[in-house]
Amino acid sequence: MTGDLLIMTVFGSIGIAIFGLFFGLVYKGIDRKIVAHMQKRVGPPIRQPFLDVIKLMNKETVLPENAVGWMYSMAPLVCLASSIILLLYIPMGGLDQVFENGALLGGHGDIILVLYLLIIPSLAMVAGGFASGSPFATVGAQREMVTMMSYEFPLAVVIIAIVWKLSTAGGDVFSLSLIAGNPIWNSVGLLGLIGAFILLLALVIVTPGEVAKIPFDVAEAETEIAHGLLAEYSGRNLALFYLADGVKTFAMASLVIVLFFPYNISPVLEQYVALGDFTILVDFLFFLLKVFLVLLFSVTLVRAGMARLRITQVVSVYWITVTLIALFGLVLLMWDNQFDVGWF
Amino acid sequence: MILMMLKTIGGFWDPLILVLAAIVVAIIAYIIRAAGRRNHKTGEQAKPFFSGVAEPSKEAMHVRASNLYWGFTEALKGYYTSMKKMHSGMLNDYIGWFVGIAALIFVVLFVMEVL
Repeated sequence: MTGDLLIMTVFGSIGIAIFGLFFGLVYKGIDRKIVAHMQKRVGPPIRQPFLDVIKLMNKETVLPENAVGWMYSMAPLVCLASSIILLLYIPMGGLDQVFENGALLGGHGDIILVLYLLIIPSLAMVAGGFASGSPFATVGAQREMVTMMSYEFPLAVVIIAIVWKLSTAGGDVFSLSLIAGNPIWNSVGLLGLIGAFILLLALVIVTPGEVAKIPFDVAEAETEIAHGLLAEYSGRNLALFYLADGVKTFAMASLVIVLFFPYNISPVLEQYVALGDFTILVDFLFFLLKVFLVLLFSVTLVRAGMARLRITQVVSVYWITVTLIALFGLVLLMWDNQFDVGWF
Repeated sequence: MILMMLKTIGGFWDPLILVLAAIVVAIIAYIIRAAGRRNHKTGEQAKPFFSGVAEPSKEAMHVRASNLYWGFTEALKGYYTSMKKMHSGMLNDYIGWFVGIAALIFVVLFVMEVL
């Protein structure tokens, strides 16, 4: 039993890592293509992120003379590794028929663990920025830290709200498979539905902050602080950060799906056509479509239509506006339970 | 059983499995990194990027720790200003707060008991 688990962890981690790296770059390419079209540009081909990684791997990896060498070199490794680990715990559509809990290690860690793991890539970037010995990188690292402190609060409120709603059902309410198995939309009345929509809105606003995209990319602000905490990074180290960005973005979108859109399409299609062995494939493709839609609405369209906020605006948006929105959603969920308004 | 699941009232996780997975993916990340170009020139390009301006002294370039949370404290300036006023350093003020809050708690408890 233990031996099987160890073997599954080792080989499964390799498989999920390849999967995460591939789709992370694919979605990066799609994102760039759509933004380019929205700005009336042709844009790069979807395979461009793959070419970027190959190019970066062939570039020189400069170690700045002011850098703290070991920390500067370790940061990209930790960033990429922790981004990949996230995918081992987050259930994905279709994989619930392959793994017991929808994810390789779904039964060995809950959503609190995922919340902590989400922090590690950002912390690694902060450590790398401070270790760079550059004023631009230091300012970027400082901004990343402040941004991280800002979006964690509303993110925690959203997750606590969903878990609280599930607590009436019993079981390990922090388990991601339980959350995915009991979609919030199925157990709410009218007030709860409005509350859940508000929580979804809060999470959609948190997502670009979590993956450092416009308008919350103050830590990397290219035109302002020359790529901020990545200012001194080059070559293979920069390639690792680039890969980690793709993987973390994919993981974050997967988390949004688990929390709000965990439905599979196979039960609907089964009514019209027998899917047989293709059930896993159909559900998995549907999951990829959902990831695309989440990224389209929370990252791509937002970054194409908005300008970068100032760091003080990022803090006030997350700590005041989005937190209040999320708390209001939580209160509506509680009222939904307490008053039992139903649908009329 | 070597692998122990840690459970609390709310959550659960398995630290050894996490460490094992972390080692595997760290090795993968290391292999990817090792596939990249290693050599690089030293000298001019190893100096920190400063928009082409001559590099000032290290002390002048250093961002002070007091500025670390600047964006945060600046955005929540109103809150921090009022909090600083409260933290006057006067023992009388702190005892006053303690007595006031304790009285408030007793009033709340009393009202809850009566109702």
